[in-house]
Amino acid sequence: MTPPSISGHGFTVDLPAAWEGRIYRRNVPEIAFSPDSRARVATAEGATSGWLGENPGAVVHLANFPLPVDRGDYGSGAVETMGPSDVFLAILEFGQECLGTALYSSLGLPRVRAERFDPNGLQRRIAGQAGVQYFFTVQSRPLCLYVVLGSYRNAVPLAAKANKVLDRMKVNAA
Amino acid sequence: MTVLIAVQTVVLIVLAVLVAGLLRAYATVLQRLHALDGGETASPPPFRTVPGVPAPAADAGSGGDQWGADSGIAGAVARQEWAPAHDLRGEGLTGEIISVRTVSVEHDTVLVFLSAGCAGCTVFWEQLATGRVPFAGGGRVLVVTKSPDEESPALLRQVCPPGVDVVMSSAAWSDFGVPGSPYVIVVDGRSGRIKGEGSGTSLEQISGLMQQAYGDGADLPGRRRVVKPRGDVEREVDVDRALLAAGIGPGHPSLYGADPGDLIDMSQVPAGRRLPTVAAPHAADAVGDQAGGQR
Repeated sequence: MTPPSISGHGFTVDLPAAWEGRIYRRNVPEIAFSPDSRARVATAEGATSGWLGENPGAVVHLANFPLPVDRGDYGSGAVETMGPSDVFLAILEFGQECLGTALYSSLGLPRVRAERFDPNGLQRRIAGQAGVQYFFTVQSRPLCLYVVLGSYRNAVPLAAKANKVLDRMKVNAA
Repeated sequence: MTVLIAVQTVVLIVLAVLVAGLLRAYATVLQRLHALDGGETASPPPFRTVPGVPAPAADAGSGGDQWGADSGIAGAVARQEWAPAHDLRGEGLTGEIISVRTVSVEHDTVLVFLSAGCAGCTVFWEQLATGRVPFAGGGRVLVVTKSPDEESPALLRQVCPPGVDVVMSSAAWSDFGVPGSPYVIVVDGRSGRIKGEGSGTSLEQISGLMQQAYGDGADLPGRRRVVKPRGDVEREVDVDRALLAAGIGPGHPSLYGADPGDLIDMSQVPAGRRLPTVAAPHAADAVGDQAGGQR
């Protein structure tokens, strides 16, 4: 039986056992920012996903636990449900204006190192968890890899799990 | 005058009986003609569970309205018990590409197959909107609709309440042999097998049936689960898989003292899954062991 895979927006991943994923690109925002429009959006049902002028890139979410439907790009909504053996992995694409900048100068899909994980590396600190971020460029696509471990104590085996997924990922030109 | 009224009453009763008989005969003729045409009764199959799991007592069904003659109900009812489950691949309502695991995971998954245009699904959508869907065992609830080429995402966005996880996948309908909507399938994550499926009138009703099927609320939320060492859990999963590969599920007679050789066709068991052969002790030896104590 071939392993389940997920493919879209130039990303292809053969998912290891128990891993699932979601790939999406938010719609191009059509509402220009202003205090009025912000107030209108705040009272309307469902928050806006950006303002006019923003060009959303692709976002890949991979996890070895059930991903909830409502998630932020950096996994808010999902990381709160993580257990100590869980790993969350997000890859976010940034605009072409970032191409060639120092932050994204590293080429190729990185592999995570357990010692790089830090509880302060999280978007929002959650007890016991640790996170890390890598910025890099693949196929002329400026990308950010954000990995959250469910348990900082288990950083070594969990980082190995994350690398196993990264080994199975291919990034094509957009 | 009294005699006249009595005669009229008798005649009226006779005529009424005659008309009722004619109507009944007419209905029988129609029913037989329908059967001759190969027609089937279009009603959803009741919720049922795999062997060994106590069957729910309450009646289910009668909620669906997409149970046409070509919906394949007969095929679904005749489906092999303990049918293997499948992971899901599909799209979300906003075009999100989704791959969801239901097999080889620790949690159960409740797949609710719905459609935007089915009247029987309305109650399900309304209940999903309340956010109070108390499924037994805390299983993950996923709504599965057909793919965007068969189901309108725009219409679905209108009926689907926010916060509901929807996977649009016609392949899932095909993989699971779903006969129509609404339909619910419960997947046992650890064994990767279906452990309950069928239709009902509402999520609450199906939730109640599942609670009965799971047996006295053994896995109900709030009940503390036994924490086992990882090695034990993995060993249990391996044993479960080996047993399932050999066709042994919960309630199988071999688990209650019957001779496995009489019950299992070992040629059907993959070589890697065969358990080592253990010679059965002779009855006399067994008696001798008990009687003789230590040797």
